[in-house]
Amino acid sequence: MTALLLVGGLVIYWQSSGDSGPASAPATARRGGQVVASVRGEPRSFNRFVASDLTSVLISELTQGRLVRINRNSFELEPWLAEKWESSADGRTHTFHLRPGVTWSDGTPFTSADVLFSLRAVFDPKVESPIASALRVGGQPIRAAAPDPQTVVFTYAGPSGPGVGLLNSLTILPKHKLEAALDAGTLATAWESKTPLTEIVGTGAFVLREYLPGQRLVLDRNPRYWRKAADGQALPYLDRLVLEMVPEQNAELLRLQAGSTDLTYTELRSEDYVAARRGEEEGRLKVIELGVAPDADAFWFCLKPDAKKGDKRFAFVQKPEFRQALSYAVDREAFAETVFLGAAVPIWGPITPGNKVWFWPDIPRYPHNVDKAKEILKSIGLEDRNANGTVEDASGTEAKFTVITQRGIGSYDRGTVVLRDAAKAVGVTLDIAPLEFGAMLKRLMACDYDAIYMRPLFTDLDPAGNMDFWLSSGSTHLWNLEGKSPATDWERRIDTLMLEQASSIDPDRRKMQFEAVQKIFAENVPVLYFAAPRMYYAYNARLQGVVPSVQRPPVLWNADSLSVTP
Amino acid sequence: MRKAGLTLLGLVIFLAIAAPVLAPNSPDKVFSDLLYAPPTDLHVGYIHPVRLVSRLERRFEEDEAVRVPMELFTRGRFLSVDDTQGPLLILGADAFGRDIFARLLYGARTSLALAVLSTIGALLIGAIVGGIAGYAGGLVDELLSRFSDFILVLPAIYVALALRAVMPLVLPASTVFAVLTGIFALMGWPIVARGVRAIIASEREREYAMAGVALGAGPARLLLLHLMPAARGYLVVQATLLLPAFILAEATLSYVGLGFPDSVPTWGTMLQEASNVALVGDAPWMLAPAAAIFLLVLAVNLTVQGVGRAPVQLEP
Amino acid sequence: MARFLVRRLFFAIFLVFAVSSAALFLTRLAPGDVTAQLGAFASAAEVERTRAQFDLDRGPVAQWALWMSRAARFDFGSSFLYNRPVGALIRGAAANTATLAVVALVGATLLGIPLGIITGSRRGTASALIRGVSLVFLSIPPLLTSLLLVFIASRTRWFPAGGMTSVNAVDLSWSAWLADVALHLPLPALALALPLAATFERLQAQSMTETINQPFVLAAVARGVPANDVIVWHAWRASLRPICAIYGLAIGALLSGSFVVEYVTAWPGLGRLMYEALRARDVYLVAGCAAMGALFLAIGSLIADMLLAAADPRVREAQAS
Repeated sequence: MTALLLVGGLVIYWQSSGDSGPASAPATARRGGQVVASVRGEPRSFNRFVASDLTSVLISELTQGRLVRINRNSFELEPWLAEKWESSADGRTHTFHLRPGVTWSDGTPFTSADVLFSLRAVFDPKVESPIASALRVGGQPIRAAAPDPQTVVFTYAGPSGPGVGLLNSLTILPKHKLEAALDAGTLATAWESKTPLTEIVGTGAFVLREYLPGQRLVLDRNPRYWRKAADGQALPYLDRLVLEMVPEQNAELLRLQAGSTDLTYTELRSEDYVAARRGEEEGRLKVIELGVAPDADAFWFCLKPDAKKGDKRFAFVQKPEFRQALSYAVDREAFAETVFLGAAVPIWGPITPGNKVWFWPDIPRYPHNVDKAKEILKSIGLEDRNANGTVEDASGTEAKFTVITQRGIGSYDRGTVVLRDAAKAVGVTLDIAPLEFGAMLKRLMACDYDAIYMRPLFTDLDPAGNMDFWLSSGSTHLWNLEGKSPATDWERRIDTLMLEQASSIDPDRRKMQFEAVQKIFAENVPVLYFAAPRMYYAYNARLQGVVPSVQRPPVLWNADSLSVTP
Repeated sequence: MRKAGLTLLGLVIFLAIAAPVLAPNSPDKVFSDLLYAPPTDLHVGYIHPVRLVSRLERRFEEDEAVRVPMELFTRGRFLSVDDTQGPLLILGADAFGRDIFARLLYGARTSLALAVLSTIGALLIGAIVGGIAGYAGGLVDELLSRFSDFILVLPAIYVALALRAVMPLVLPASTVFAVLTGIFALMGWPIVARGVRAIIASEREREYAMAGVALGAGPARLLLLHLMPAARGYLVVQATLLLPAFILAEATLSYVGLGFPDSVPTWGTMLQEASNVALVGDAPWMLAPAAAIFLLVLAVNLTVQGVGRAPVQLEP
Repeated sequence: MARFLVRRLFFAIFLVFAVSSAALFLTRLAPGDVTAQLGAFASAAEVERTRAQFDLDRGPVAQWALWMSRAARFDFGSSFLYNRPVGALIRGAAANTATLAVVALVGATLLGIPLGIITGSRRGTASALIRGVSLVFLSIPPLLTSLLLVFIASRTRWFPAGGMTSVNAVDLSWSAWLADVALHLPLPALALALPLAATFERLQAQSMTETINQPFVLAAVARGVPANDVIVWHAWRASLRPICAIYGLAIGALLSGSFVVEYVTAWPGLGRLMYEALRARDVYLVAGCAAMGALFLAIGSLIADMLLAAADPRVREAQAS
């Protein structure tokens, strides 16, 4: 699915001032050479403020900069275009000192005016930027002032959990190229994908050289890039980075094996692992484990009371006990074995071990227990009275549901079948209806389904960045999208805890509150999770300086420090 | 040759009909430890059970210490082994750990019936439309030909999607079968119509047709009895081209949600699942459905070869 | 002849109109729309804006009328996926596909027709072998044929494993660029040509067998004309009717692009454009691609009819009348 995007994680609460972190490349890194990476889709725009598709985001990360960056491997906050900063004790005022000597790729100096411009552009009502919501604190836009060309003072409307980390989302765009468009109200269409590439300047490691729709994007080294390696060598090491459009995943793997592509777009599918390993044995590829995926396949019922009026089955679907029974019915070890060929870990909630900071190992669990599941179902009046294999309530309404899912995705195909068999064992009948993506999405948004199986991607590793999922009014509150008010008491409690959590600046307190949220979630199981896959990634063995990340892109987030052996 | 074709065809049909007896396992049975397992080595009278070594690396080993006897006509099956001892997987297992051989046999039923019915439908419509167009000529010909062009370039996927949207979420296999047959026949005929039209248009001008008109034969009679036989050979070849195409097209439509439930295996979907080259290199047995389609097409080809007359032997 | 061409032109325009209109309506009829591309949970405002941008907030008929009025001025709308005008996108992709189609068609013809003549007129091992190979290509799904070719290319490195140009094409002079494209052509061209050659071979063989049995050929043999000459000069020409009809279809289909081949070999052509447009419900791109496909098919039909007339004098007379 093209779904939700990783807008960059806002993970650790961290206040620091420090120098530019050393780039993690081997001491022997060689300047020069080129790397070919594959991408699957076209960029919608070269303007990060209006496009949030994966290719646009990737290009923005390669060509643009921001004040601070969250390291995708360590999840720590790093100084980037800002050299250091100080925060006030109440966590509402942050003073940033910009790195001296940074210039845009056309030679214009980078100053605090660019930062103010970018913030103004993000919140401009005509731009309707998708990243604006990530830059609000307590519903209010962040404000900023620039006492001098090297200093920016940000003022938050209230305390913020992620703190300075919020600014990881703020791409800094050049005032001297885009201010006219913003004033004319046309920023939303500026820097479209047909703009001459020389117009697009940035502070990133690369500059755009050529774009052939449907074929490739060529990026050349930005000679004015500010960052240096630990040994003082100018970054990036590579002279050229090519993003090839390879729409088909099998063909992508073949090209990786042939050496015509160095990096793939996503992690390996578990069924491709063997082929990649063989490539490694032959010395052509290198296979690494990225870690446990921060997102997992999920299963849930539509729990929107308005949409399910007159549906007698809703009486038991909305009981937490019913969902707990289903959770007991699934053998998660076996699930991981069958669905992900064993390369997965069992989970009981939305936060997987891949999210190192917020994962809570003590979350309430539902060990596989068919008898217990049956017992619970019986306790809420569901038993197989007519011995047809499906449980029903006293009035004869059967626990029989249709699960919609997306057609043609291996883990969905296998996952739904395993789930169906597990549910069957406790007397709940699930019929699987695989649909095409557009058709599935239409039903999902209209709550026109009984149950659904898919992988919703979290936008952010920090819970405060995923309020839309946790809050009952949220647009990704999966089981009851955009509810007018909390449908249940436990959702109300989660709402309260999450709002507190997001505006707290004490890391320990935030952690405790979020554990309370995870506990309520696990007890009421609005969404069932089964296993989070271990992600493996293969790349050409000539690549050096690879630092893996569980977030996408797995390797290119660190493109300035990649190098190749001759 | 023709005899060989008929024999082969008979064999395929027999295998399909006798699937419940011939398949050593049920096509739905999941051997969850044996995902992508290779074909079991057959020894005379016994097999060694296969054990999983590494799931991710797809490594299995035979337990050579144990001999599981293969038995004839027990457990209601022609050839089978004791279930508790480890399955007999003649063509290995698929991505779910299901017996490919069993699915192939059962899949023959659906795929054969679907393809044959759709082909007959497409040939019938195509012959009628092409025949009328070729015989009538002029404006009628132009209208019918352009209409068939229209059908040819219509995005059939959307037709299927729109159709799918107005049908219930869960479809019984019989409904899917009927809908697919209809779609295939309605989408496949224009190709047939084109060739038939070309043949009829030129036959019509020939002496015997002229003579027929002179003798007062009605157009329908002339078309059916005198002109259509000329297109017979062409229709037969088209049948051999459409048959495999429809078997494969079923997989495409299953992608938009017009597919059989997973308890009904088909050759098309089986091949679709095998369309992962990295996998095919390691697990070539997953291509078994392609071989089956080949055998079927070969059988049909051999059978119909002599329709018309046997070729003249020009060289010794 | 002139009247015939004018009539055909009229019908071609009508076909393009009908097909693109039908494509537009079908896109609206299918569940979901292009906003699905914004992601599963895009903001309501963004969805709203996108729908307005592509006139999806209007009824299908109103949208169609709007689109028609713009198309009359050669404005075919813009694509969501590529964020640029449909007209320009299709022109570029059609040129790429046409290059590929010509090479594939020539290859399939040179391979399929002679082989069909052989299998249609001779028996023996060679004949059986050719027929067997043909049947193999007809039984393998195109997806698998393409993937296998990419697999072979990636293993042997005889050809680049996909794409139309090398990654450094941006630095090449135009003659080197042409050579680069020529190096990338064989892979997708083979993927297209092999199944097509098999189809040609089957049709030609059948047609040939039938013709050989006709009295005029037997008569020629009886008169003592050498057998091979008979086959080539008399029988072949007379056996071309159904081939011509299918040939036109093949031209139309090839020019509209095979999405599977272009998708797997990453050839930036019309088939892949259409496929991506279909998947994304990129409504104006779907309509544009369908129109282009119809246009090509109309051209293919025309060529087929002309070939038919050239191959068979009787049809020529009928058309003239």
